Amino acid sequence: METLELFEDFSLYLKEMKSQGKKVIAFISHDNIPEELIDAAGFIPLRLIFAGNDELMDASHDYLPPSTCAFAQTCIGLFALKPQQFDFLKLVDFFIVSNHCVSDICASEVICKYFNIPRLNFYISYMRNQSSEKYFRLEISAFRKNLEEIRNASISDDMLFDSIKKYNEFRKVLKDINNLNIKGSIKLKFMQNAFLYGPTILPELRDFIASNENSIPDTSNSIDLLLTGCSIFMNDILIDLIEDGGGNIIFFDTWIGHNYYSQQFEDHAIANAKNPIDLLASRYINNMYSDHSVPNFLENRITHIEQIYRKYQEKTGKRLGIINHIIKFCDHHSLMSSFFKNKLQEKEIQVLNIERDYSRANRGQLSTRIEAFMEMIRSE
Amino acid sequence: MSIIADEIIRFSSVLKIAYNFLTGRAYLKRKKFREKKKLVSVALPFSDLPFAAGTIPVFPIRMQVFNVNQYLSYLGTASNIFGWKGVSNFLGFVKNLGISEVSKIVDSIIEDVIQEINEKYNEMYDIGIEGGLSSDFCYGLKSLVGMHISKSRNVDAYMNITIRCSAFNKYLESLSAINNEPRPIWIDIPPRNIGNALELLTDNINHALGDFESLTGNSVSDNMLRNHFNISNQVKKAYKTIIYDISASDFYPCNPATFSEIMSLLNITFQDYNSNAIRYRDNMNSLVKEMRERIRKGIGMDVSGMPRIFVTPMFGGWEPKSHDYIYELGGRALYADWGLLRLLEEIPTSPRNNPVEEYARFLLNATETGIGCDNDKLTDSYLRMAKDLKADGVVFIQLFGCHSISNCYRMLRDKVRRELEIPITAITFNKIGENIEQVKTRIGAFMEMF
Repeated sequence: METLELFEDFSLYLKEMKSQGKKVIAFISHDNIPEELIDAAGFIPLRLIFAGNDELMDASHDYLPPSTCAFAQTCIGLFALKPQQFDFLKLVDFFIVSNHCVSDICASEVICKYFNIPRLNFYISYMRNQSSEKYFRLEISAFRKNLEEIRNASISDDMLFDSIKKYNEFRKVLKDINNLNIKGSIKLKFMQNAFLYGPTILPELRDFIASNENSIPDTSNSIDLLLTGCSIFMNDILIDLIEDGGGNIIFFDTWIGHNYYSQQFEDHAIANAKNPIDLLASRYINNMYSDHSVPNFLENRITHIEQIYRKYQEKTGKRLGIINHIIKFCDHHSLMSSFFKNKLQEKEIQVLNIERDYSRANRGQLSTRIEAFMEMIRSE
Repeated sequence: MSIIADEIIRFSSVLKIAYNFLTGRAYLKRKKFREKKKLVSVALPFSDLPFAAGTIPVFPIRMQVFNVNQYLSYLGTASNIFGWKGVSNFLGFVKNLGISEVSKIVDSIIEDVIQEINEKYNEMYDIGIEGGLSSDFCYGLKSLVGMHISKSRNVDAYMNITIRCSAFNKYLESLSAINNEPRPIWIDIPPRNIGNALELLTDNINHALGDFESLTGNSVSDNMLRNHFNISNQVKKAYKTIIYDISASDFYPCNPATFSEIMSLLNITFQDYNSNAIRYRDNMNSLVKEMRERIRKGIGMDVSGMPRIFVTPMFGGWEPKSHDYIYELGGRALYADWGLLRLLEEIPTSPRNNPVEEYARFLLNATETGIGCDNDKLTDSYLRMAKDLKADGVVFIQLFGCHSISNCYRMLRDKVRRELEIPITAITFNKIGENIEQVKTRIGAFMEMF
């Protein structure tokens, strides 16, 4: 019900923006899309961050086989079925086809082609080296040109600087939210809302931080957890299953979470930058936790999680459970999942790999696995 | 399979290619331990740089022990004395005498080759899953992971070239998690040919060449690159002749089922040229010559009345029985994956050109117009190839767990029906031999349209 109202409000907000002549540019959410450029063009970046269900996934099977990532299936399903609560998707003016993974390409392409949404391209290299940084600049430049054509006016560097500052502030606030000592589900809800609205929601987020800065939640009986892997998207029951099972996520090491807000610029970097594109390129090249990139993603991720784990252990004397969330048929997280688990377990860090799609049928099994994992941590 | 054996023994080059494939392990051991060569694992036809750098590329299944039929093994030894041509003629002569025991032996040689390769692929698939890879990935990846779990200790480096398939790229990364001893040598291909992408890819290749130089301790000159490209161009030329001239023609040098067997063997071996580019080129040239000779003499089969069924994609895994069923039902199966993906394009070798840049152009062209940076472009490649082959129908292999190449069926079906106006069907595939009856039924229903 709460989400329904949220979507209704969001729909009204988008309609209001559209009435002001703003275009809505949607994309399958990932961490290398230069949302600042979209914002600087005066448009609304709309990240698809919605979890699926059986109906949405089934609706995608006319276009892609069922062995496609469940999230990509859901994105197609949303456009195929157009459920009433997602009414705002009718307001999308353009859709970005990008290659975060190959399912991103295929699903975005299907959405553009079969639901008649004009397409914009934005591709990124798989490696992070000097050449790929230069390539990123080519894509940024082409993308900027596309946006300028749509708005029929140029996007000045100053406009882009302003947007970069705005989004940088947004990331800082999201980091503060993640650091609040509140229940994981509340934290996630605020982060998801923030991802939907973008920096417009900053005042609300600040108020929330102010009123929760000193809160001490009653989570003494819960097992503290770190969530890594795929994000938990809006409308997903996974967070409820985790909390019902006795867990509490204290750190979101996912795209909705650390991967996003950690990509901040130091204030002096913005102040000293002569060209805003340099900032975007440097962010891309420093995005070492992006699951898109090869070859050191697994290594970086393990080092990062181990650091958080040790720090937590030092501070609390307790063990932190790791849940690796894998949306079924996810190329990036699924392929590495057994290596990920083995390597962390070698360091005596317990990991639960949860691989699942959005079907109702697997809820019971998910609960059982989560509860068993909590039991295991508790008994150690 | 007896029809196949009957025909295939007349192609000594095919026997050689099969023999070289199956006995790869002994050859590779010799190269590694006696000649102190570095072995570089490759997947997909990306063996050019390892060859040019003086290393030995190996498609990792070839490090496995194959149960080589003892007679094929004997033939290998005999070939050292009589030469392959002589061995092949001898087999043909014995077969024509109709000596049943010998005929059975000859049949079993070829049957064993095909059977053995398929079984080994399935074995690698099982090892991949046992090694922890989710069963949700495609047959090709599961087998590749299995190959590396089983034998990566023998290689000195991994040739890692990124493509549009994110699972493939992550698989490349995972090789170092399987075994971090071999040096990963990466080449990142820019997703699109925009701006100075060619220059950037050239830089990436130069960087990879630097890695090869530190691996071998020897420098890689432009001439070494050109020399290898010259050889690989000849291989590609021969391969294209077989695809475009012979497989699309109305008279085959053998029956269509045999022809498909040969094409599938080429599809596998093209990835690493059986670790010896010159030998492979010679075999490919002989194969073209042998095929042409037979056609000239009228030996073979008039296939003008048999519908051409383009079966694709098959490089990530497909049911090898497909072409037998198509043949039994009056059609002929055509395989041409590498041509479709633009990996048979020749690389200019003029001394005026920079060979590294030419190789970059080749890779970028394959990415942009072959594999395609999206399904719209990829489906155009399927269409182009279907037209070139004058296909009467398309059987599309929908590989379970493939999120890339075989994921475009809906779009392809729409385009094929609209632009080519020929029938198309999809067959799902997970593992060799797993779904035989369904494949048979689907192909049966499809062939009724002709």
